[in-house]
Amino acid sequence: MRRLVAALALVSLALAAAPGGAQPLPKVKLGVLKLTASAVLFLGVEKGYFKEFGVDPELVYFQAAQPIAVALASGDIDVGATGLTAGLYNIVTGGVHIWIVADKGREWPDYNLSALVVRTDLYDGGVRSLRDLRGKKVGVTQIGSTFHYNVGRYLEKEGMTLADVEIVPLQGLPALNDALTARRVDAVATAEPFVSRLESSGAGRVIVNTGDTFPWQIATVMYSDKLAKNRALAVAFMRGYVKASRTYYDAVIARKSGPAYDELVALTARYTGAAPELIRKGFPYQDRDGRLMPGDVGRQLAWWHQQGFVKARLTEKDVVDESFLREALTLSLGFR
Amino acid sequence: MRVLLDDVSKTYADRSGQAVEALAHVSFTAEAEELVAIVGPSGCGKSTLLNLVAGLLAPGAGAIAFEGDLPPGRPPTAMVFQEFALFPWRTVQANVELGLEEAGRPAADRRVIARRFIELTGLGGFEGKYPHQLSGGMRQRVGIARALAVEPAVLLMDEPFSALDAQTRQLMQEELLGIWERTRQTILYVTHNIHEAVWMADRVVVLSRRPGRVLEIVPVELKRPRTEAMLGEPGFVHAVELIWGRIRSQARDALQEGRE
Amino acid sequence: MTRLPVPDRTRALTRRRHPVARVLGLLALVLAWEVLTRTGWVPPLFLPSPLGVLASGAEMLASGELAVHIATSLRRIVLGFGLGALGGVSVGLAVGVFSLAEAIGNPLIAATFPIPKIALLPLLILWLGIGEASKVAVIMLGVFFPMAINTYTGVRHADPLLIRAAVSFGAGRWSVIRKVMLPSALPMIFAGLKLGAGTSLLLLVAAEMIAANSGIGFLILNAQNLMETTRLMVGIVVLSLLGLASHWLLVRAERAALPWRPEV
Repeated sequence: MRRLVAALALVSLALAAAPGGAQPLPKVKLGVLKLTASAVLFLGVEKGYFKEFGVDPELVYFQAAQPIAVALASGDIDVGATGLTAGLYNIVTGGVHIWIVADKGREWPDYNLSALVVRTDLYDGGVRSLRDLRGKKVGVTQIGSTFHYNVGRYLEKEGMTLADVEIVPLQGLPALNDALTARRVDAVATAEPFVSRLESSGAGRVIVNTGDTFPWQIATVMYSDKLAKNRALAVAFMRGYVKASRTYYDAVIARKSGPAYDELVALTARYTGAAPELIRKGFPYQDRDGRLMPGDVGRQLAWWHQQGFVKARLTEKDVVDESFLREALTLSLGFR
Repeated sequence: MRVLLDDVSKTYADRSGQAVEALAHVSFTAEAEELVAIVGPSGCGKSTLLNLVAGLLAPGAGAIAFEGDLPPGRPPTAMVFQEFALFPWRTVQANVELGLEEAGRPAADRRVIARRFIELTGLGGFEGKYPHQLSGGMRQRVGIARALAVEPAVLLMDEPFSALDAQTRQLMQEELLGIWERTRQTILYVTHNIHEAVWMADRVVVLSRRPGRVLEIVPVELKRPRTEAMLGEPGFVHAVELIWGRIRSQARDALQEGRE
Repeated sequence: MTRLPVPDRTRALTRRRHPVARVLGLLALVLAWEVLTRTGWVPPLFLPSPLGVLASGAEMLASGELAVHIATSLRRIVLGFGLGALGGVSVGLAVGVFSLAEAIGNPLIAATFPIPKIALLPLLILWLGIGEASKVAVIMLGVFFPMAINTYTGVRHADPLLIRAAVSFGAGRWSVIRKVMLPSALPMIFAGLKLGAGTSLLLLVAAEMIAANSGIGFLILNAQNLMETTRLMVGIVVLSLLGLASHWLLVRAERAALPWRPEV
């Protein structure tokens, strides 16, 4: 026994006295979906923008937005970059902090990430708007998802409410396609590349494009409470993100073509395995500096609360913290 | 009703497919209203013999026949089993009625007839009980009542009291003889207990080891009704000694071989 | 002359029942849980308080919401369980009684039994749609197999002595089936029913988690999606109560149907 203790002591001493030299960079676990929408982060990781500011990012892939929120809550990841769901807001209500810190994608005119697709046979029969879908079945992924929110907002635009249609949760995007094709639902609220697939297979026709109809802050970068408390690391990551965001904007939004654009398409194809044509359609719009759409999160909170899916009446200051972004931007003043 | 066994032999295949000769050229006749005991060492085929008479085994060589009048509706044989073979999910009443059901008797008749034999076998008051609530002796009474209820011409009893303790056995033997005085069937009574065989029977058929052959048929010169006092009489003792003498060495051989 | 008392060896044999400890133990656990949630160490997201769960449950009961979910789920379970049990017992009987059915049926059952029924769910939805049919079907399948196998075993294990006894009294094939094999199989059939009840609850929840808009499984999934852990706990509590209730019912039914079994 004594020898074991002595051996352990020796080993720990040796480790502690390791020759100084390059200290490894602090790791930050970054949860993303393996979709084109995460291109800005793939860019930042690939080009080493985070390492530049002293952060070693580790990409962790998820299948849906909700699990990312859960992983942030449990501390399994430090940063999440995905859609805003009612589940996320309920996590905050439940006493665990998750902070919305920067823009990572907005539904924006000409940059439609999602759409309402109606069955071709119904479309041919005259169903062209939400009014015509009164009382019908509309498929979404989950209750509380961005798609659910979309449908609610589509309806409000027409002066209707969620109660005017039958929401059918089908748990996944591929399931939505199957259901529409098999005519088990009348319309689905879905995202690319599934929208294009439905149209090309002739199963459905788009009647509402979200970004064109009402822009909103659909996806953001989020910090776990633990990371938020580590101010230095949190700001360092943000500086890397700002650089990635600006590079992304210049390549995709400002120019829509050119060598930088093509390079990004190729990069994204490597990370996601998707086809270039689909990638081009899927680049989201975001603010060059990563700023959030003012007031939109507050608007989402109010809507979810009103519909009864978020019990507590939260306000923006309960979930949003742009101070990291502001500090990063100040430090990056003078940089492109 | 007489039971005639004429040169009966029976061979069957055991689990490994080997041919086993159970009985070889067994012949004897049980007279009407006679109680014939069948004894022998382990594996002598006495149960096989009974199952052949009951029709539960396919016949081998030789012939088995019944001779005499059989009133319609009455089966030639009914069996009483060593392990009672009562249906656990049936009450005493229902168990006794089983044979009558198969004979096609209407429910009302069955009830009445069954009750009669329930009373006869001393089960009065226990009609609604389930077998698990009864002692071993009581259970076999049910078995006997069940067999008697169909009023068979021949009663086949396969070691009926072997599963009971010695005291109960003694009492049940007396009871059976008492009942038999009233019902008067021909009885084929298989047992391994020589004392029991001699005390119960008019004649004792002694079988040899496998393949079972008739070694001897020993008449029992005791008057009826049999009493306990007779257990000491020379006629009784002599018969027992004679039978044991015939099978003792065979029993020893069977023990040595360790086969059943 | 010295006298010696009988050494007391009973300590090693006795097993005490502790009826008070049983109840107190559970209460203490719930109490500790409540206290823990109140200290604020653990956010309510991770550990909803028992009183909170009770309150939420009461609220859902009062609004009628819980009743709707329970009624929907019950309907699906009763239908699926009923059909599955009926089918399973029939097939089990057939396979147990008829040698030809056994020859055909046994390999089929052995081949299909290990397939997890949950895995068949997407297929069933494809064939039968997202409505009630696919949900009832998956429950039915999940109950069918234990029932068929248990019934078959019960029939095959009918005491051969009893069959011989019945035959010796003149019973033909049908009589033997009705009077010996079926009653012999009943205890195993009830064992299968208890197994099936557990399976059907499991499959119900799984089925309701795919394309449903009411039911206890839906409630649980919904609460999970919305991260409403208190409502989630309500769903789980209701589920376990359903499980308890169905078990209790079956035990009573078994006692009524098998009055001849000596109490274990």
